[in-house]
Amino acid sequence: MGRLIARRLLTAIPTLLAIIILSFVLMRIAPGGPFDGERPLAPEVRAALEAAYGLDKSLSEQVWMYLGRLAHGDFGPSMVYRDFTVSGLIAEALPVSLLIGGCALMLAAVLGISIGLWAALRAGKWQDEALMLGATLLTALPTFVTGPLLALVFGLWLGWLPVSGQNDGLSWLILPVIALALPVTGAVAKLARAGLAGELGADHIRAARARGIAPLTILRRHALRPALVPVASYLGPAAAALLTGAVVIETVFGLPGMGRYFVQGALNRDYPLVLGVVTLYAALIILFNLFADLIYGWLDPRMREG
Amino acid sequence: MKPALIIVALIALAALLVPPLLPYDHIAIDWDSVRAGLFTDGHLLGTDDLGRDRLARLLVGTRVTVSVALAAALVALVIGVTWGAIAGWVGGRTDELMMRIVDGLYALPFMFVVILLMVVFGRSILLVFLGIGFVEWLTMARVVRGQVIALKQRPFVLAAEAAGSPARATLLRHILPNVAGVAVAYLMLTVPQVVMIESFLSFLGLGVQEPLTSLGILVNEGAEEMDMHPAALLLPGGVLVALIACLTIAGERFRDRLADAAK
Repeated sequence: MGRLIARRLLTAIPTLLAIIILSFVLMRIAPGGPFDGERPLAPEVRAALEAAYGLDKSLSEQVWMYLGRLAHGDFGPSMVYRDFTVSGLIAEALPVSLLIGGCALMLAAVLGISIGLWAALRAGKWQDEALMLGATLLTALPTFVTGPLLALVFGLWLGWLPVSGQNDGLSWLILPVIALALPVTGAVAKLARAGLAGELGADHIRAARARGIAPLTILRRHALRPALVPVASYLGPAAAALLTGAVVIETVFGLPGMGRYFVQGALNRDYPLVLGVVTLYAALIILFNLFADLIYGWLDPRMREG
Repeated sequence: MKPALIIVALIALAALLVPPLLPYDHIAIDWDSVRAGLFTDGHLLGTDDLGRDRLARLLVGTRVTVSVALAAALVALVIGVTWGAIAGWVGGRTDELMMRIVDGLYALPFMFVVILLMVVFGRSILLVFLGIGFVEWLTMARVVRGQVIALKQRPFVLAAEAAGSPARATLLRHILPNVAGVAVAYLMLTVPQVVMIESFLSFLGLGVQEPLTSLGILVNEGAEEMDMHPAALLLPGGVLVALIACLTIAGERFRDRLADAAK
C-alpha cells in the first residue's frame, strides 16, 4: 500500500506541473493585465509595478520563478488584492468551500448509496424503475437552477432558511449543500445500483443463497463491499463536480469561498490567485483519485496491489 | 427511450420553427409593455425588464444552447473517435502512451481550464464549443479504443487482413462502421453534458454573450428577478432540466440496448 501511495504521488507531479504550466501560459497570452484599470497608469509606475512582480522577465523565467516559490509552499502575492498573499486569501476561503463540499459529498454518498441499494434489491420491479428514473432526473439538475429555486421556495416564499451569506449557526449551509448534493446523489445512486445488481447475480452469491444463508447476511457479508467499488471510482469525478458546482453555489448564495476568487481572479487577471486556486484544486482532485484507489483495495481485496 | 426522444424533438422543433412566427424577435424592445405579466396581449409569456418578449427569448435561447451543444459534441466525437481508433488500432506502446494521456487529463479540474479559456480569449461562441469539445472527448476515446481492440480479434477483420486488405481499408471499411453504434450512444450522452457546461459558463457570464441568449443566461436573469417573476426562472430552468434529463435517458437506453445486442 505504501508503494502504491508513493508511486501515485510521484506520477502526480508531472500532471500538476503540466496543469500549472498550461494555466500559466494561458493566463499570460491573454490580452489585458492586472494593472489595467479605468485610468491608464503612468509608464514609469507601470514599469515599476511589473518589475516588482517579476512580469518584465521572460515567460520561461517567470514560470521557473513561480515553480521555485511553489516548491516552498509560497503561492506569491495577489496582484489585485494589494497587501494580501494568495496563501492568505486561500486560507480564508478554503474552509468555507471545504465545509460546503464535504457536507454535500457526505449527504450525496449516504442518500445515493441508500437509494441505489434499495433499487438493486428490487431489481426489475417498478420501485427499481421509479428510483432509477428519479436518479437520472437528479443528475440532470444543474446547481445553478436548483440553487436559486431552493432559495426562492425555502428562503423567500416559506422564509425558513437564509438565502445569502453566512450566519452564526449552520442554517446557512443547508440550501447550498442540498443544491450541490442533488446531482451527485443521482450519480452515486445509479452506480450503487449497478454495482449491487451485478454482484447479486454473481456465482458466489448464488452459492451462498443456495446454502440457505439469510438474504441480509449475504448482503452484509458478501455483496455490499464489492458492490460499492463503482461508487468509490466516482469519488474523483465527484470531487471535481463539487468543486466546480461550488463556484456557482458560492455566487448564488453569496458565500466567501474559493469559487468566487477563481472567477473574480480570472476576470481581474490576478495571475497568482488564479494559478493558486487551479493548483490547489488539481492537487485536491488527484488526492481524491488516490483516496478512491485506496478504498478500492479495502472494498475488494482482489484489487490490492502487492 | 421513445417518450424522452419525443420531448427532445418537441423542444427542438419549437425552438427552430416557432420564433419566426412570433410578432417579436428576441431582442426587439416593446416600449409599451415593459415587464408585462404572463399571457399579456401579444406576449404569451410577458416581457422582461427591457421589454423583450420572454417567449422569443426562451425559444432562441434554447436554440442557441442546443446548437452549441451539438457542435461541441461533434468536436468531441471527432477527436475522441480519432484518438481512440488510433490507440486501439496501433496498440502497443503508442496505445499505452495515448491512454496514459487520457488518464492524466481525466484527473485535471477541466472546468477551470475552460473557464480560463473563456476569460482569456474573449467569449466568442466558436470558442465556447471548441473549448467544451476539447474537454468532453475523453470518455469517447476510451470507449472507441475498447471497441476497436475487441473488433481487431473478430474473424471478419482477421479474414479481411488475411485476404490482403490494406490497413487503411480495413480500418475504414470494417472497423469504423462497427464502432459507429457505440459512438452514437456516447454522442447522445455527451450532448446533455455539454448542455450543462454551456449553461454553466453562460450563467457565470463567460459563455454566450448578448445580443445572443442561451438557457444559462436566461436562468441567470431569472434568478435575479425570481421574487417578482418566478416564471422567469422556472421556464428556462425547466426546459434546461427537461433537455438534459431526456437526452440522458435516451442515450443510456440506447447504450444499454447496444450492450444487450452484443451479448
